Amino acid sequence: MPAICCAVLLASVALAAPGPPLHAQEPALPLKPDSVRFAAIGDMGTGKKAQYELAGTMAEYRRRFPFEFVITLGDNLYGGDTPGDYESKFELPYKPLIDAGIKFYATLGNHDRPNQRFYKLFNMNAEQYYTHKKGNVRFFALDTNDMNPRQLAWLEKELQSSGSDWIICYFHHPLYSSAAFHGSSTALRLVLEPLFVKYGVQVAFAGHDHVYERVKPQKGIHYFTEGASGSLRAGNLRKTDLTAASYDQDRSRPCDGRRVPGVGRS
Amino acid sequence: MKRRTRVTRLFQWLSLFAFVAPGVAAQARAPQAGGEEARVFKVFTARVQQYVKLQSGMEATLPALKPTSDVARIAEHQHALARKIAQARRGARRGHILTHEVTRQFRRIIRDEFLGPDARLARRTIRRDDPSKVAVRLHVNEVYPNDLPLTTTPPALLSRLPQLPQVLAYRIVGRDLALKDTKAGLIVDPIPNVVP
Repeated sequence: MPAICCAVLLASVALAAPGPPLHAQEPALPLKPDSVRFAAIGDMGTGKKAQYELAGTMAEYRRRFPFEFVITLGDNLYGGDTPGDYESKFELPYKPLIDAGIKFYATLGNHDRPNQRFYKLFNMNAEQYYTHKKGNVRFFALDTNDMNPRQLAWLEKELQSSGSDWIICYFHHPLYSSAAFHGSSTALRLVLEPLFVKYGVQVAFAGHDHVYERVKPQKGIHYFTEGASGSLRAGNLRKTDLTAASYDQDRSRPCDGRRVPGVGRS
Repeated sequence: MKRRTRVTRLFQWLSLFAFVAPGVAAQARAPQAGGEEARVFKVFTARVQQYVKLQSGMEATLPALKPTSDVARIAEHQHALARKIAQARRGARRGHILTHEVTRQFRRIIRDEFLGPDARLARRTIRRDDPSKVAVRLHVNEVYPNDLPLTTTPPALLSRLPQLPQVLAYRIVGRDLALKDTKAGLIVDPIPNVVP
């Protein structure tokens, strides 16, 4: 197992809720000089107050946890993709991060239109699914709206030749989720998980359910759901055997007793 | 005596044939069924290729779209492409690509998926984000509604339908299946009420 190499901020609106200011807290992370540091946000593109508040908190928190880039877990823009949508649901809320040179690597959700792949600030390079590398971590951004044989063949080929210590996949629909609204995407799990296991994927991030959940390792893979970066679906989590940590309320009421459950490390 | 023996042998052969023939016939039918599907899908693929050729021809008349931060350009490109394709296909009717024969094969496959052993899984997959909560009927050459969320097409179903070029996708909306142009955002051809 390679040494700890990356640390991630899973940014949920619950983190922006009343309580001790997040940016004033010391993150319990190794923060080694060579760590790959990034943030993960999902289902954020509402353009509403909660999204703006969380975006502000992320910018402030970056002083303590200097993440270098952000991965998005889909539903980047709800309700359309007019120039006004890009502005009010992405460019304005994340302006401080964009201005600081933070790159966003997007994946598409079920509310996103495929042509978002041409938007330069999403760094998808006109592809619906793609891969990028940071340090010794290889990331795979998948399009779970259309998990066709071509995409699966591409994924297998790229995983075979990834040549990285760490492999992280991210996509919109969670393979495991304790949330009541959508829940686990079992049909996707049947085709994706065998590849993850075969090629040693260590971590997978998804959105779709507007909650936070860290799932107990499944077949050695750490699954996270972070779909609460635009709004929180309060009370939506069910009690299941899957959950290692979760919340669907603001941070003053974490389900696992931790004060800031949205900050994790791998 | 000789005649009796011949008759007996004839009966023996006929009985043997009666026993073996249905199996032989079934064996012959199986490849025919596969062959029929392959033949129909070949026609479908040829029509899809014709569409892709038309689409790329139309796109070639527009300024090339590369990754840009000018989002108005992305929208303009999509709208212009959709207009050109719709104009070029103004006579296209439902069934132009998803012909009657193709539809019959698709219905059979989709029926298998939604009524077969994995039916629960397939139904759950499409119900999760079922846009049919919004009453929508898809028509040829119309733009896929911008505010309509996408339903995940079950991967098991995608593995049985003919593979599409990257610019097209199968989309399920309610009980309908549509062939969608992912670049122009157009409905290329729908099959209504295909999900049982």
